[in-house]
Amino acid sequence: MSEPLLQVNAVTKTFGGLHAVFQVSFQMNSGEIIGLIGPNGAGKTTLFNVISGFYAPNKGQIHFKGQDISGKPPYKLAVLGIGRTFQVVKPFAGLTVLENVIIASFAKHPKRRQAEQHAWKILETTGLADRANAQASSLTLAGRKRLEVSKALALEPTLLLLDEVVAGLNPTEADRTIELILSLRNMGITILIVEHIMRVIMNISDRVVVLNFGQKIAEGIPRDVAMDSGVIQAYLGEAPL
Amino acid sequence: MSRKYLLLILAFGILLAVPSVIQDTFFLRIITEAILWIGLAISWDVLAGYTGYLNFGHGAFFGVGAYTTALLMNLCGCPFFVALPVAGVVAGIVALIAGIPTLRLKGAYFAIATWALARAVQQVALVMDITGGPDGMRLPTYLHPGFFYYLMLGVVAGIFALYWFLLEKAPFGLKVKAIREDDQSAMSLGLNPTKIKLQAFILSAIPAGILGAIYAYWITYIDPASVLGDLVTDQAVVMAVFGGLGTLIGPAIGAIIIFSFKTYFWAYLSNYQVLYLIILGGVIAAGVVFLPNGIWGTISGYLQTRRTLKQEPVVQEKTDKGAHHV
Ligand SMILES: Nc1ncnc2c1ncn2[C@@H]1O[C@H](COP(=O)(O)OP(=O)(O)OP(=O)(O)O)[C@@H](O)[C@H]1O
Ligand SMILES: [Mg+2]
Repeated sequence: MSEPLLQVNAVTKTFGGLHAVFQVSFQMNSGEIIGLIGPNGAGKTTLFNVISGFYAPNKGQIHFKGQDISGKPPYKLAVLGIGRTFQVVKPFAGLTVLENVIIASFAKHPKRRQAEQHAWKILETTGLADRANAQASSLTLAGRKRLEVSKALALEPTLLLLDEVVAGLNPTEADRTIELILSLRNMGITILIVEHIMRVIMNISDRVVVLNFGQKIAEGIPRDVAMDSGVIQAYLGEAPL
Repeated sequence: MSRKYLLLILAFGILLAVPSVIQDTFFLRIITEAILWIGLAISWDVLAGYTGYLNFGHGAFFGVGAYTTALLMNLCGCPFFVALPVAGVVAGIVALIAGIPTLRLKGAYFAIATWALARAVQQVALVMDITGGPDGMRLPTYLHPGFFYYLMLGVVAGIFALYWFLLEKAPFGLKVKAIREDDQSAMSLGLNPTKIKLQAFILSAIPAGILGAIYAYWITYIDPASVLGDLVTDQAVVMAVFGGLGTLIGPAIGAIIIFSFKTYFWAYLSNYQVLYLIILGGVIAAGVVFLPNGIWGTISGYLQTRRTLKQEPVVQEKTDKGAHHV
């Protein structure tokens, strides 16, 4: 076994007195899909923000490709190979879909022409090519979520963090997105995915990490985690009698 | 698109021919100044329209350029064409030093900080002996209206072409727009917002410094009120906003309209000068309310909608169901 792609080591992130993420550790190997689940407010997005450099951890370290990246700014991590989407989508609303993805392509293709070619390829992959010249603000929610994925993908990341890219989609759209995620894995991208829809997580994850009140309460293959009493309790919100 | 280019080239061609057709130096002088204002309005727009950061101290770069030129020409007898690029570089350096701490701030704080910077620069010029204090400075006179007309035209056309290329053609423009649209998303895609804003700030400051240099040598007299006062910034701001931010052409159109209005007013209705600021204020307030994208933004927006309506049905925007999650 080679060394893990991502190592999260006892990471803590606090807001005021609140431990949004508390001493969380886990690691990801190349090519894995890991599902990150937990009730609302469990700290999933905060953990994403720490891994992608938007917050520096208060304690703990993160190693990516063997390098300590804790506290490095997001734009450096993006170039190193960490791509992410935002739960609350952040399109460049006033620009076209194509321009949105061209911007993301500059990281690996600094020339305008090459970046544009690359952006078209990405849009073909994510199924947005027919909307390429539309304003990003004119997209439906499903389209915007696809655009989030397209932008992150255009970075040619080694590690992709997907924050609720399926939530809010209708079943057909959801299936298309799941297909897309699986095809990304086949392209060799390692994926950490946050999702509330269990059907999605259970079907596509190799392993699942469960957070509750900022702490990791379980980790394992989907089937085991689904039967873990602590996890069930966290989701039902009260202790069984 | 190509029609836009043709119009620009046509406008440039007409301007080139102006001095041979119009012998009246008063009129030539007015057009020279109009071109100067186009340059100031578009250089202000580079930061405001493309990054969303409102620089309320733009006049400081103009004034720094003007004073640099006056000092170099008076103190060490530098030829003008040596002083000119130095004026641009000095303005750029001021932007670099001022930008590093302030461009990390949110837009509103940046606006205040740049305004304060301009006041500080003006104070320096007021209290120093070398700059002549409130009396200002005289420059060697070179009375040649045609020279200044062509110099101004060439420099502003060059600035326009450079901006057009960098902001509308080169990757830099899209990067800058990305930061304006959403700096967090931009960061997650490998862009360093502070660095790019700083580049845009310097790109906006250098031409303002160069224009200040030309202005000083042309008018031959500068003082803290004329080149470092609020009015330089205010007029550039009004022109850019009125014409349409973030479009380059818009601020140029705004500069022509506002400057013509002002000139007409001061020349023919000089008894009613107080009215100028009142009417200007009213026009601007009305413009902001009724044409929030400025004149050019409104026109091109209208044309674009018509084109899209012809091509494809407008997609109904659904509400963002994910938006209540944080
Ligand atoms: N910027 C912030 N400032 C203060 N508190 C924050 C901030 N971001 C998150 N929190 C708090 O940290 C905790 C974890 O939030 P986080 O958004 O990470 O949860 P989540 O697991 O992503 O939830 P959801 O499933 O609703 O998206 C919450 O209590 C939240 O209110
Ligand atoms: Mg979340």
